[in-house]
Amino acid sequence: MTPRELLDEADRLLSAVVPGTRGRWPRACAWLIRLALERALDDFWARALPEAATCGMRAQLLLLPRYAGAATADEARQAWLGLARATHHHAYDLAPTAAELRRWHGHVRALTERLGGLP
Amino acid sequence: MDPERAAASVEDLILDRLAGSGLSEQAGDLIMAALLGDDELAAAVRADGERGSRPERAEPAPAARPVPVYLRSVIVEGFRGIGPQAALRLQPGPGLTVVTGRNGSGKSSLAEAAELALTGDNKRWSDRPATWRSGWRNLHAAGPTRICLELALDGQPGVTKVIREWPAGDGLEAGTAFAQRPGGPRLPLGELGWREPLELFRPFLSYSELGALVSGKPSEMHDSLQAILGLDALIGAERRLSAARREAEAASKRSGAELPALLGLLAGLADERARRAEAALTGRPPDLAVIDALASGGGTAPDEAAAWLNQAAAIALPGREAAREAIARLAGAQERVAALAGTAAGDSRRLARLLGEALEHHAAHPGEPCPVCGGLVLDEAWAGRARAEISRLTAAAAAADQAHADLAAATRAVRALAGPAPPVLAEGAGPGGLIDAAPAREAWRAWQELAATGTVADLIREAEDRFGALAGAVAQLRERAAVALRQRSADWRPAAEALAAWAASERSARRAAVILTELRAAIGWLRRAGGEIRNARLAPFADRSARVWQMLRQESNVELGPVRLEGAATTRRVALDVTIDGTPGAALAVMSQGELHALGLALFLPRATAPDSPFRFVVIDDPVQSMDPAKVDGLAQLLAWAARGRQVVVFTHDDRLPEALRRLQLPATIWEVARRERSVVELRKSEDPVSLYLDDARALARTGELPEEARAVVTAGFCRSAIEAACHEAVRARRIGAGARHADVERALAEARTVHQVVALALFDDARRGDHVAARLRELAGQPGVTAFQAAKSGTHDAYRGDLARLVEDTARLAGVLRR
Repeated sequence: MTPRELLDEADRLLSAVVPGTRGRWPRACAWLIRLALERALDDFWARALPEAATCGMRAQLLLLPRYAGAATADEARQAWLGLARATHHHAYDLAPTAAELRRWHGHVRALTERLGGLP
Repeated sequence: MDPERAAASVEDLILDRLAGSGLSEQAGDLIMAALLGDDELAAAVRADGERGSRPERAEPAPAARPVPVYLRSVIVEGFRGIGPQAALRLQPGPGLTVVTGRNGSGKSSLAEAAELALTGDNKRWSDRPATWRSGWRNLHAAGPTRICLELALDGQPGVTKVIREWPAGDGLEAGTAFAQRPGGPRLPLGELGWREPLELFRPFLSYSELGALVSGKPSEMHDSLQAILGLDALIGAERRLSAARREAEAASKRSGAELPALLGLLAGLADERARRAEAALTGRPPDLAVIDALASGGGTAPDEAAAWLNQAAAIALPGREAAREAIARLAGAQERVAALAGTAAGDSRRLARLLGEALEHHAAHPGEPCPVCGGLVLDEAWAGRARAEISRLTAAAAAADQAHADLAAATRAVRALAGPAPPVLAEGAGPGGLIDAAPAREAWRAWQELAATGTVADLIREAEDRFGALAGAVAQLRERAAVALRQRSADWRPAAEALAAWAASERSARRAAVILTELRAAIGWLRRAGGEIRNARLAPFADRSARVWQMLRQESNVELGPVRLEGAATTRRVALDVTIDGTPGAALAVMSQGELHALGLALFLPRATAPDSPFRFVVIDDPVQSMDPAKVDGLAQLLAWAARGRQVVVFTHDDRLPEALRRLQLPATIWEVARRERSVVELRKSEDPVSLYLDDARALARTGELPEEARAVVTAGFCRSAIEAACHEAVRARRIGAGARHADVERALAEARTVHQVVALALFDDARRGDHVAARLRELAGQPGVTAFQAAKSGTHDAYRGDLARLVEDTARLAGVLRR
């Protein structure tokens, strides 16, 4: 699935009642947005710097400002920080809220558009 | 104080104390009215010493102890964060239920809804900040707002409901509430007999009350504790009385403050009423009767100037046209008299009489010569001529008489056109300098002279001019007098209005001065009585509060002694007898936020769970805020202890309390609340996180709603979380069981970032031994375990290609192994 398709699925979980997801949609949604972000970066590195695709996410985020500009990198980092926390089990943390998910969704959507426009 | 009285409502306690207080009846009425509300106090202040009926006790204390009641469900629609209907289902009996939800998930809305449904008429709600009052209705719900509490009454089958609802668009006050017993009709809420118990044992501890405890302002802390003690009525009454006292003080000074401006206004007026007003105003006390009379426009004594002006404006005189006609008639009569010119009426009549006698003679002696002259024979021809002459002569005489009579009448009429000058024109009459009456007086005198002494010819010649001059002068005088009268009234109007306003001020100042004395007495008495009531109410629970504190304090070095509420008005504060490490000290300064919350609970729980309360449930909104992990353990134990005899419902914003309950193996039912966009609130029962994640993974693996790839990624994600959660649980149980500090355990868990590290920490108690993980897993869980571990690591990035249902079950087995 392309990042855009993943984001569309995430949007559906977020805005409509999808059967079988009662109460579990927040984390499912987080996983989909997270994967969309990873895929968007994969696609970008395949064109810009194939070696980067094999690095961990932390390294990718450090490389990103040089290849995609500071603003884009910033957006990616913010979304990743939230998503990584939401998709790992953390004692005491409850599932992310709809508002948080909507914000990350917006970041990743914008990031996908921007990275798609770069060579 | 005996325990029965300690458990009475605030109103009753105050009524009891008022009976022998020596306080005046009016002060007592003010206190009772202040306990009831703003409107009632305003009415009592207005009553101005006229005895209204002292409020009756609202409901007699029921003789029988009320039936124990448990919550069965809280069903909410269109209220605060909750849009479409959401329901929290509870086991109606003792036990602990924890509802977790992120901030904004709607969990506090559920807690508040439950409280509002039962206590909605309470002043607590009207005192909420404006932001709350404007936002209480859900934004996404266009329809009505409805809260339904389903209750189980001990020993009674079926569901008793308490329903509070608001039609779409109406304000918070427009809500209606009723109760409904199983299969029965709607009843007023009061029928349940809970008004007094709700005040005494209010089973709700709200987020804002706990929050106010840590605001740091001594007065807010004092009020918050007082509310927790069920004594909000006292706070409200004292606040209302103080506000009324400030108002009365201001009112009692208002007329005095307004006086200089009013005297300044009067000083600028020449009107003699202003002088009388000044005298009345500066009297001791000011003469309100005089001021009222002056304000209503008139005066109390006759006013010379006004009388003169009124008379001057009303001088009567015939019109010039009428005068001109009278004078023309006189001239005509005079002409007709002149035209008679010598034909005197007497001569004509005498000649006619002579001819008449001659005719009689002729009748007796026809044909004889005239006896007077002896010449002409008096025959029939003569007789005919004589008869004609007689009638001509008689008519001429009548005409002349008429002309003279006409002349006399016309002369009289002209002379009478203006009578003697009216008294208002007399020399020296009227207030000097007001209006010059001399021209009118002079014109009148000139006319009088002509009318009294002039001949007919004089009158015809001069009357019109002189009367014209008189009419002109009088018209001018009248006009000036009228203008002066209007001016006077216009000049006075502002003064009259100011006087009326001042009289009102003065009256309310006099009333305020009377009520002020009573209000001061009432406030002083209420403060003393309130202090006794507060501390009497704290006393019976002191032991149990200390016990609750013991459970919560955990690592705290603060010992809690008796708590007292002290001071009044701006100096009110909470006094705690505490010792820190054995040394007496000022506790509030050294207590952490978590300790203050614990203090709130220590004061709340003993009262809310008192044996006399019909409410077998307590609802606590987020007591976990800012508690450190050790205190959360203490809280978990405390709540589990309370839940042995009570239904305890706790709302909390994170997973610390459920985690502590699970780790300490304390029985609890846990619900998770999540809110979708557009305020769709969903609740689901939550088990431990491992089962929860596995449950999620199973459900996602099955759902046909998502594309296959998305489904694989999300399922793998939940599997990974399940493995992480199982590892966390194992690490926490092992280390805390061995006496490690909570904070150290949490740090170790946070530092293990990857799944690999987390599993290593669980297997070897060392996150750095990742290299040995695969081999150890193979030993413990076989190849399926290793596969599940690999899928957890990579399946969230590259979709897992195998059978998802099998993956979930393999993960479940692996998690079971890790948790051991």
